[in-house]
Amino acid sequence: MKYITTINGKRFEIDVDKDGRVLVNGEPREIDFRALDVSLFSMIIQDKSYELVIEERDNSVQISMHGRVLTGEVLDERAQLLLTRKAGSTGGSGEVSIKSPMPGLIVAILVSEGDTIKQGQTVVILESMKMQNELRAPREGTVQRISVQPGQTVEQGKLLITIT
Amino acid sequence: MELGQQRKINKVLVANRGEIAVRIIRACRDLGINTVAVYSDADRSSLHVRYADEAVHIGPPPPRESYLRIDKILEAARRTGADAIHPGYGFLSEREAFAQAVIDEGILFIGPPPSAIATMGDKQKARETVKRAGVPVVPGTDPGLRDDELLNAAIHIGFPLIVKAAAGGGGKGMRVVRRAEDLPDALNMARREAESAFGDGTVYIEKLVEGARHIEFQILADMHGNTIHLGERECSIQRRHQKLVEESPSTFVDPDLRRRMGEMAIRAAEAVGYVNAGTIECLVDKDKHFYFLEMNTRLQVEHPVTELVTGVDLVKEQIRIARGRRMGPTESVLEPKGWAIECRINAEDPYNNFIPSVGTVSTLIVPTGPGVRVDSGVYSGYEITPYYDSMIAKLICWGDDRPEAMLRMRRALEEFKIMGLNHNIPFHQNLLNSFNFIAGKIDTKFVEERFSMDVFEHPATDEELEAAAIAATLFAHRNRQLAGQVVTRGERDTSNWKWLSRWERIHR
Repeated sequence: MKYITTINGKRFEIDVDKDGRVLVNGEPREIDFRALDVSLFSMIIQDKSYELVIEERDNSVQISMHGRVLTGEVLDERAQLLLTRKAGSTGGSGEVSIKSPMPGLIVAILVSEGDTIKQGQTVVILESMKMQNELRAPREGTVQRISVQPGQTVEQGKLLITIT
Repeated sequence: MELGQQRKINKVLVANRGEIAVRIIRACRDLGINTVAVYSDADRSSLHVRYADEAVHIGPPPPRESYLRIDKILEAARRTGADAIHPGYGFLSEREAFAQAVIDEGILFIGPPPSAIATMGDKQKARETVKRAGVPVVPGTDPGLRDDELLNAAIHIGFPLIVKAAAGGGGKGMRVVRRAEDLPDALNMARREAESAFGDGTVYIEKLVEGARHIEFQILADMHGNTIHLGERECSIQRRHQKLVEESPSTFVDPDLRRRMGEMAIRAAEAVGYVNAGTIECLVDKDKHFYFLEMNTRLQVEHPVTELVTGVDLVKEQIRIARGRRMGPTESVLEPKGWAIECRINAEDPYNNFIPSVGTVSTLIVPTGPGVRVDSGVYSGYEITPYYDSMIAKLICWGDDRPEAMLRMRRALEEFKIMGLNHNIPFHQNLLNSFNFIAGKIDTKFVEERFSMDVFEHPATDEELEAAAIAATLFAHRNRQLAGQVVTRGERDTSNWKWLSRWERIHR
């Protein structure tokens, strides 16, 4: 089975055959990969030992290794095919939505519909965990829609602002 | 209680939650004392409930409906027959009314007398009281002066200075003023802000101590007239007035400064007739002038660093003192043993403006080994809710000296694995790589103004990225195969258990 795996933006072609042999970008690797628990793994690659916690979160794979968490994506051949087909239809800038990263109370909305905003500009102040948190624009654009009001309690993942 | 009269404690109710409740319960168990936990709906599965001998439900998740309800906590104490209450930190720990209500109920309050809580809880009263005892305070005015009076006072105090709201907190109604001509405008704006935020536009001015460090002294006082200090804690690594890293001792405090500040701290505590554990918080400027800031009349979050360099179990001492006994240590600590550093591990994303992260801790692997202590109230499967603060754990490392403590902290941070939500371990790792921190060149503005997550980040090597890619791929591959097996198993028309028992009967 052929996979395209991207870790922190770096792309690897990895082939796992029926007997579990692994080729990375066409080169064979000697690997001993053991599952110790649901998400705890031990891997030895050419005598180098790694302890890993691997979990799926928000449609990506997170790998805890050497005290840091790396984020990646693993696509098999079929998923790649689907993606290349879809890539033709999407593109350009499109809409970006700012969603509530946690449940909380909307303290203030610092922009109005139609405003031009810069990347990193604070748009909403959300109170949660006894703290006032500034939510910032992920990119520049125009505020198309504001879906909440100050004083409103919101759930995690609630759409707050749409930017085009 | 009369002097010399001792009382027995058989059962302590812990009026708190999270790691501090667990910490207190542990001290009680060490002493052979039974424990009662109280919990809100959100905490039914929390560690403090699981560790306690008894647990009483006190209401819905919001603190004002549970952990801040004096009546419910007293009711829980009555029901379980607790003879003492430990308030922990936060919640009701610094409410005079709570301490008084506990005492009125005939229950021991493991903390200072209500009068000391009241005096130290009122900023202005506290300043005046300790000033009379010869303790230096940041030069400033009383609240409620007219503008012309404030202008006169400002010239006397000198610039830069800071305008503060009397009812203040959280930076609202605060203005830094560097020139006399800017003061009238700053006063107006601070008044308006304070009026809208607190409904009280009263302001006062205070000298701005620039490049200040936040250094605090741990105090211990018993009912037999003994008051000592257990040295300092350096708490300058903070962000928006939230401490992130604390250490003891401080690189900035020499034996002479420790002796002088310690004496000052004892005077401040004695000025309010303080009994039990408390903390004198100070600002120290770059010329080692120190000023009393406030007294925290409770156990502090960062108390473990003091415990590790003094060998004193502060919670145990609190209980001893509350029972009317003499405290264990008899002398102030002028020479701490070794070095201790604490990192607060919070569910906050350091790459995204420290935004809190909620969700389930899916994996928790806690570091161990020489010199490592972890105080925590969470476990894998625990859900971090938005009702309480975002602290996951306190990681405290001890070393013979500061470099050893730092190296152990690095090692422990690397061993610590928390998955399922974002946390600030990368912040601590970067901080421990920063030259300023290593050199001890820090002040209270360091994290906000001179620290960046980009500078000291060690990016993953190509070899590490490849290893991660292989592991992620094998993980996905394995899940696919397992998923495949599930499908084939489902094709059997009966359940596996039934199938197994049939199979066993056939082969009997």
